[in-house]
Amino acid sequence: MKHAFTFLIGVTVSAGALPALAQSGNLDLPKSIVAGSAFSIQSTSSAQGVLYIVGPGQVLKRDVQPGQPITIAAGDLDCAGHYLAVLTSGSSTETGEFDVVPGSQPATLSFLAKPSRLPVGLQSGISGAVYIFDAFQNLITAPTPVSFQLSIPSEATQSRTVVSRQGAAWTDMNSGSKDGNAKFVAQAGDVSATRVIQQVPGDPCGLKMSAKKVGEQIQLETDPLRDCSGNAVTDGTIVTFTESWNGGQTTVDVPLKHGIAQAEVPAYNGARISVATGVVMGNEIRWANQ
Amino acid sequence: MVHWMLRASSALAFTKATTLFTRQPGASIFESNGLSRGISLQKLEAVAPSTRPIPLSLILMAALAVHLPLLLMELPLKSYDTNFHIFFASHYLHHWFDPWNPKWYAGFSQTTYPPLPQQWIALVSRITGLDLAYMTVQLVAILLLVVGVYRFALLWVTPRAASLAALAAVFLGSESFLVYSAGQLSTTTAAPLYLNALPYLFEWVREGKWRSFVKGAALFTAAAAAHHATLLFGSMFFAIPVLALVLIDRQDGERVSTPAFLIRTVVMTVVVAAAVAVVLLPFWIALIHYPVTQTPIPHASRANYILSPQWGLNYFVIPYGALILALPFIFVRGSAVTRLRPLLLGFWVAFLVGLGGTTPVGHLLLGRAFDVLTMERFSYWATLLALPFVGLLAAELIDRYRGRAVAVLTIAATFTCAMAVAWSTFRPADAADFKVDSVAAWLNRDGHDNYRYVTLGFGNKISRLSVLTDASSVDGEWNSGRMLPELTAHGGAALTSSKYFNKEGLDALRAILDHADRYGLKWVFVRDPYYEPLLTFGGWRRVDDLEDRTIIVWSKDGVPPAAPVNAPQIPPHWQGLMWGTLPFGSSLLAIFVVLALPERQRRRAADVEPAVMDKDLVPGRMFS
Amino acid sequence: MTGGRLLAVFLCLATVGLVVIGTLWPVPAAAAWAGGTGGFISSSSTPEGAVNNFANDLGHHAWQEAYSTLANKGKFTEQDFVRDMTGSYPGLRTYASLDNFEVRPLHASDNEAQVELRLHWSTVVGTFLDTRTLQVVKNGDHWAPVWPIVKEQHVPPQVIPVTYLRWDVIYRGPEDDWGAQDVEAPHVRIIDMHPVERAAGVVVLGELLNEDVVPAYVSVKATLLGKNGSPIATEDSFDKISHLLLPKQVTPFLITFPNVSLSDVDSIHMDPTSSLVAASADPVIEIQNQKLSPAPDAWFSGSLVNQSGQNVSIAHVLGTFYDQSGQLVWVADQYIDRALLPQTPVSFAIPVPEDLARKISTERAVVATYSPGGFQ
Repeated sequence: MKHAFTFLIGVTVSAGALPALAQSGNLDLPKSIVAGSAFSIQSTSSAQGVLYIVGPGQVLKRDVQPGQPITIAAGDLDCAGHYLAVLTSGSSTETGEFDVVPGSQPATLSFLAKPSRLPVGLQSGISGAVYIFDAFQNLITAPTPVSFQLSIPSEATQSRTVVSRQGAAWTDMNSGSKDGNAKFVAQAGDVSATRVIQQVPGDPCGLKMSAKKVGEQIQLETDPLRDCSGNAVTDGTIVTFTESWNGGQTTVDVPLKHGIAQAEVPAYNGARISVATGVVMGNEIRWANQ
Repeated sequence: MVHWMLRASSALAFTKATTLFTRQPGASIFESNGLSRGISLQKLEAVAPSTRPIPLSLILMAALAVHLPLLLMELPLKSYDTNFHIFFASHYLHHWFDPWNPKWYAGFSQTTYPPLPQQWIALVSRITGLDLAYMTVQLVAILLLVVGVYRFALLWVTPRAASLAALAAVFLGSESFLVYSAGQLSTTTAAPLYLNALPYLFEWVREGKWRSFVKGAALFTAAAAAHHATLLFGSMFFAIPVLALVLIDRQDGERVSTPAFLIRTVVMTVVVAAAVAVVLLPFWIALIHYPVTQTPIPHASRANYILSPQWGLNYFVIPYGALILALPFIFVRGSAVTRLRPLLLGFWVAFLVGLGGTTPVGHLLLGRAFDVLTMERFSYWATLLALPFVGLLAAELIDRYRGRAVAVLTIAATFTCAMAVAWSTFRPADAADFKVDSVAAWLNRDGHDNYRYVTLGFGNKISRLSVLTDASSVDGEWNSGRMLPELTAHGGAALTSSKYFNKEGLDALRAILDHADRYGLKWVFVRDPYYEPLLTFGGWRRVDDLEDRTIIVWSKDGVPPAAPVNAPQIPPHWQGLMWGTLPFGSSLLAIFVVLALPERQRRRAADVEPAVMDKDLVPGRMFS
Repeated sequence: MTGGRLLAVFLCLATVGLVVIGTLWPVPAAAAWAGGTGGFISSSSTPEGAVNNFANDLGHHAWQEAYSTLANKGKFTEQDFVRDMTGSYPGLRTYASLDNFEVRPLHASDNEAQVELRLHWSTVVGTFLDTRTLQVVKNGDHWAPVWPIVKEQHVPPQVIPVTYLRWDVIYRGPEDDWGAQDVEAPHVRIIDMHPVERAAGVVVLGELLNEDVVPAYVSVKATLLGKNGSPIATEDSFDKISHLLLPKQVTPFLITFPNVSLSDVDSIHMDPTSSLVAASADPVIEIQNQKLSPAPDAWFSGSLVNQSGQNVSIAHVLGTFYDQSGQLVWVADQYIDRALLPQTPVSFAIPVPEDLARKISTERAVVATYSPGGFQ
């Protein structure tokens, strides 16, 4: 609503100023001003007037005294963009144009890191994108070096430095070989933003189970499950035991607990027992009653 | 409005042989004295002081005394359909000329239901609010019924008996049942209009009075604008007996000529049919383009009341009440007196159809409509047709037993009315009384109303919820308005009560949940844990709870926002204009012609005291 | 007798006659409200009549009346009978209503008969069939059914330690800035998909894997695309899937497109969705003695054993069938009508289409569960 109102005033003033441009002189203005900085405009008008400064996100109005400079205080004009200044005084109108550019010093970073969770050993699995803003939330479009660092416990830190283009910088990283929380940091100037990437174990490697008879049941138990990098597979992972015998089958899905899965199935002589988790198959046991 | 009718009624009474029904001394009360005219005249003179009718103003006051407090207590809000009418009215309140209502069934047209009472509610609600507006319209309908019964009864019985019939209408069990338990505003509004139109039909066909023609046609049209079924079936049960009476009755010893009878009947039929066709044109268009072909929905009024006695109690004992005791009299006296026979036959057929599946008559007469209509309205019409007999019986009982009869009749009437009113508490439409305001507030915030919703276990609170929320539902309470194939393919009514329709209802619910994406159905409000397994296995998740965790909000991921559907059924703008103008205009026209066209002869008649009138009559001249 | 009296008598007699006709031979709507009875008086003078009356009582939940008609009621209590019908613990049977029933005489002699009673119960998740073979014995001038009671096992009082995992989730709050991090939706993958044409239309079968380390609430949507690339229809798996997938768990899914021919379909767009939900690894259901009885009359049967300590009110078994090459052939499902009590086997039997049963080489089953107030 506020922007719409601003836009409306801007359009009205600009429309009013356009006919005047043909018959009046130009204001003496700097070509560009850093957002939020103070500056002054020298008026040649000999009468009282009003100065309008109209931009994409802001409109300023100042009363002008004859012969006195017009001062815009620091922080008054903080929205980057192309501005039109119109000074009306009596029957004369002076106009000028200038740019408000973002400050060169990054103040905040918007850091998008994806995904927040991924398996270990994934090439280019982590992506980071940074948008650099100045203190007034203007996107700094000037090329700015941004450094990305992915710190994984007990592994070497991965670093990249990227120069931003049109206010954005991005990169991708490989996930490490060890599970745990990786710290993904983006830094531009003195400003940094941190995201945590959870590296989780990959698919189990070498799924193996053993069986022993307990009463009338066979107790099945996997070895501690690890992925191909040696990380313990996360508890809660479902392991499926399947027992097949002459024309019959028993299955049970059990969650991993403390790295191992356990189940009991009926003891059938000659039964074949297999184990699997997800799409990974484990070993097979042929059961023979003693 | 009442006074003009009174004048008209008195005039009718003047032209009829009121002594026809006076009991022969010593004879059974069930027997007619048609064969002993002289004696009956002596009897009439002997009891002349007691044959004075009860002033209609007094009867109207009795109606106010009985029903005004009950309506001010907003008792009908607990009924089955009251909130349904208020929901329709709320749409007219905000969109008078746009009958497309997107709040139910993902959009449906209100042109599928005659709008008159709901439009009056919408209008009055600008002053009183919707709930009180409903009560106001219902009260007016009750008062009109008293007048209508009086005028209708005057066609058949003496003014005194007619006044007693009108008084009985105040306590009529079926009326209270429909008002306080069923909430059938349209039926209870249309019937009085229809009853008031019938005497004009009688006058027009018998005497050819154009004033009566205009008034009758206007009232018939207004009745159709209130409830089309009343006009359709009313023709069978009410109009045909009245026309038969025209043929039976003589005026100055002369019968109406057959050509005149036929021409006038045809003219009235054609004009009313044309008026109804025009006034309800959007309704007929909707009916023709989208006929009700959906799977029939079970309704307990179609049960056999002997095999299912609980429904017999609900749909026979409560609506009839003490009137059951009068049934032998109705049959005996109705058969004995020739001019009462058409009324008896009309009553008998309505009575049989009103018995639902207890007899095969309803099924045979109505065909497929038997599985679409509900039968309690037929019992209502049957009781209205019985009221002239009741008035006659009451008059004779009072003549014979005086104070004792008055006491017994008062007790019977009070008991009948009280039972029917109390029935809404004994057998409430909704066993659980709960507020839906929190659900409406939830839907109205945070953009939740960008999606559609359905409730489970809310009973007929869904209408109330629909009034309060901006969100659209795929459910609703107007079965004939639904077009979604998932609903019409199954014999379940509202989804919120689907478990009561067993497999049919649950299949409909399952089908609509299965197509949640298609309808932007994202929210399910569950008040009955019975449905939770279906939601759980169907991929819905709990996301919130309301009302102290008694209402759980379930949601489905990935559902797109609701988009308009049923586009072909949206009535064009001109239909909206017609719908907002003609039905309501028909009621204004009826009021205007009735008030603006006074009955000249009636005025003369009204000057005559009824007791004097009776003396002037020649007994038996109306016999055929 | 005058004409008036004649008319009165006629109307009264006609009324009574019509009521009698309507009661003895009720119209369908009235019969449905009367519990499907064929009339007011249903005779127990035949074995089928006796079983009809019994089934009507069941339909009305008139357990006492039904129990009183049994010939062997001395062998069990009315409470046992009610438990047999409704289940001892809340389950599908508890709130089921009788949709219809069939009575088929199998064998009859002068004093004894055998009748098959097929009860179609309607529940919130669909219908289930309860078939009982009843002996019917002659008792004087009427017949009485002998009810083959099924007594549910009782779980003895005990303590069952439950140490399974559960997952809780903290989502980002509404006050978090743009660019702030949220928990990632679980990664799921369709590992198999196979459209087949059946009489009802096109059926899309497949399997979905949760390849993440967190529980996923999943659903699969499919869109059939025509030869010109335009969508023909979109449907989703609804309950033909196990929506809750724990890490590395696989569920079959089945999506039906009624009235669509496979020849009209050019391609299929699959859209699996997943969201992160709080979940528990409990209960663990073991599926014992799975067997596929060969065609014709092919059934996939087995029994479920609840290995946890909490009762499971409703279990949903999804059977996945593969041919010799390991390709998916069919997915079938069944809801279990009795609650799963801890360590108590409950059998299931899922019908398999005969033509497909001949191709099936291996099968596997997964179980989804529902308990009131529990995790979904």
